[in-house]
Amino acid sequence: MERRSRGSGPVAGLLLLLLLVALAGSGCARVKPWERDLLARRDMGWEPDALEAARESHVYFSKEASMPGGSAGGGGCGCN
Amino acid sequence: MRRFNAFHRPMNAARRSLLSMLSVLSVQSLLLVAPLPAAALEAGDRAPDFAAPALGGGGTVELSRHRGKIVYLDFWASWCAPCLTAIPEIERMREALPADRFQVIAVNLDPDPKKALRFLEKNPIGYPSAHDPKGRLPSQFGVDTMPTSYLIDGDGVIRHVHRGFKRGDGDDLRREIRRLLGGD
Repeated sequence: MERRSRGSGPVAGLLLLLLLVALAGSGCARVKPWERDLLARRDMGWEPDALEAARESHVYFSKEASMPGGSAGGGGCGCN
Repeated sequence: MRRFNAFHRPMNAARRSLLSMLSVLSVQSLLLVAPLPAAALEAGDRAPDFAAPALGGGGTVELSRHRGKIVYLDFWASWCAPCLTAIPEIERMREALPADRFQVIAVNLDPDPKKALRFLEKNPIGYPSAHDPKGRLPSQFGVDTMPTSYLIDGDGVIRHVHRGFKRGDGDDLRREIRRLLGGD
């Protein structure tokens, strides 16, 4: 009679997948509230200069003539 | 005819050792995944006692030394704008309240104490500040916002937790402290 043993292939594959997911997960770090000193730097912001960002946004929605333009509400007349 | 099936081959020693190695590595990797933060302490919880080196050197700051007084414990850092808004307000509060019954203790969390000391040169404070660059104390308290402050009663029980700080919060805190002082 042919004896069929359960192979290790699927289990090893599953473990390898688990390992890869866990290794990828271990790269994620929870930044604690008191560890945000570098993140709080001005040059880490999306828009380090608020005035410059507002000016660029105004030019954008004036040229785009779209409603609501960039991120602010209003028309495309460039008058707001 | 029996079809060759790679999955149905008998497990040899090499495969078995590979399998056990993968199992161990998988478990180890799962343990490396960022741990969940400690539960934040709330009103009614006992404040953990601590002794930490003072900011700028010169002894230690201990919570238990002020047992019997209402203690305002403030976690702050020089890069945290609302923390810096709070400090002059806390100092005014300290000056206005009776020193024999009310004590402020700060815990600075800057990795580099120079920045904190530079701020304090311009905004001097009359209360002690510990320096905890490794974040041991905020971990114990489960600080989840910067700044967070705790009002601790004479028995070492947290009576109020204040998260964040904006203009006008000083009035609410003063009211809360006076209520605690009056109730003592």
